[in-house]
This record gives sequence, structure tokens and C-alpha cells, in this order.
Amino acid sequence: MGKRPPITNRVRSLREKHGQMSQAALGEAVGVTRHTIIAIELGRYSPSLETSFRIARLFNVGLEDVFGWEGD
Amino acid sequence: MSFKEKSAWAMGAIMLVTGVWYAQLVAAAPQAPVIGPLISYVLAVIVLSIIAQTVLAILSPREAHASADERERIVMDRAGNWSGIVLGLGVITAIIMYIGGWSATLLVHAIVGALIVAQLAEYLFQIFLFRRAV
Repeated sequence: MGKRPPITNRVRSLREKHGQMSQAALGEAVGVTRHTIIAIELGRYSPSLETSFRIARLFNVGLEDVFGWEGD
Repeated sequence: MSFKEKSAWAMGAIMLVTGVWYAQLVAAAPQAPVIGPLISYVLAVIVLSIIAQTVLAILSPREAHASADERERIVMDRAGNWSGIVLGLGVITAIIMYIGGWSATLLVHAIVGALIVAQLAEYLFQIFLFRRAV
């Protein structure tokens, strides 16, 4: 936290492609609060590996389809 | 604003108000037995905390029953670590004042004061971290 993590993500677009899933619904599905989903989408918080996998599995995509390294 | 942040605001306000009240009690009678203001302070904090948490739980019943998620745990752990430093500095200051001539009564009040300030700092750190990471 604090310094912006160099990790990009496509959580918002995946959520929108997934039937306009709400942030609250995604949070509930992967075991975090809506505020944590907001923080992830804004790039202010890098989720744990477990939560990252939960998000990827929920959208039926690979981990690297959700998260990337800035500049790659 | 998340439930945990609302709770931190409420508890921070309670610590601030009761802390100022405790300081006024001590200032009015610095050498009086410690037990009087201490019991009044502890009871006030308990009653106000129960009221605040009950109101917050009524307003957000689902969030109130949910345990902290991974980001909230990081925030609370970090705020706890930082407030521990504040507590340590307060206790060291109190001991130095005691060595410098303060009475044992004032030493106890200073340590209670350090506990209050550290607790207030913990809630302020939580609010700061919740705001920074959301």
C-alpha cells in the first residue's frame, strides 16, 4: 500500500464482460469487501495470490489474463 | 466508507472526547487517588463504545457480522504496529518524568494517557491507511 504497486489488472473489464457483475458481488464471490475490489481496480492494492486466483477462476481465465506487470 | 473505517472514526472520536475529559479530571485534582478518574474513564469508554458499535451494527448489519478481509487485516496490523511505537514513546516519556520528580500518581496518569493517545493514534492510522488504499 502507499506506493502504487507496479501491477496492472483487468478486473473491471472482466467484471463488466461478466454480465455487469457488481463490485459487491465480485467481492462476495472471492471473499473480500466491495472496498477492496475498488482498491484493486484502481491499482491501489495488490491482492494476495489466493484472491488473485479466486478472481481468475471466477472469470474462467488465467492469472496473467487478469494481472500484468506495468510496462509489459 | 467501509464498516471498519466507520468504526475507526467512531472509536477515534470516543477516545478523543473521553481522553480530553480524563485529562480535565486529572488536571482538576492531580494528586487525588488514581482509582476515581480511572474507573469513570473506563466506564465511559465501555458505555460509549457499546452504543457506537450497536448503532453502526444496526445501520450496516451485514458488514457488522463480516470478518475483516485481507486488506483490512493489513491496515489493522500496520496501524497496530505504529500505535505500539506511540505507546512505547509515551511510556518512556512518563518514566523520564517520574525520574525527574513526578509522583507515582502522576506516573500512573501519564501511562494511562499514553494508552489513550496510542489508542487514538491507532484509529487515526487505520483511517489514514483505509483512505490511502481505497
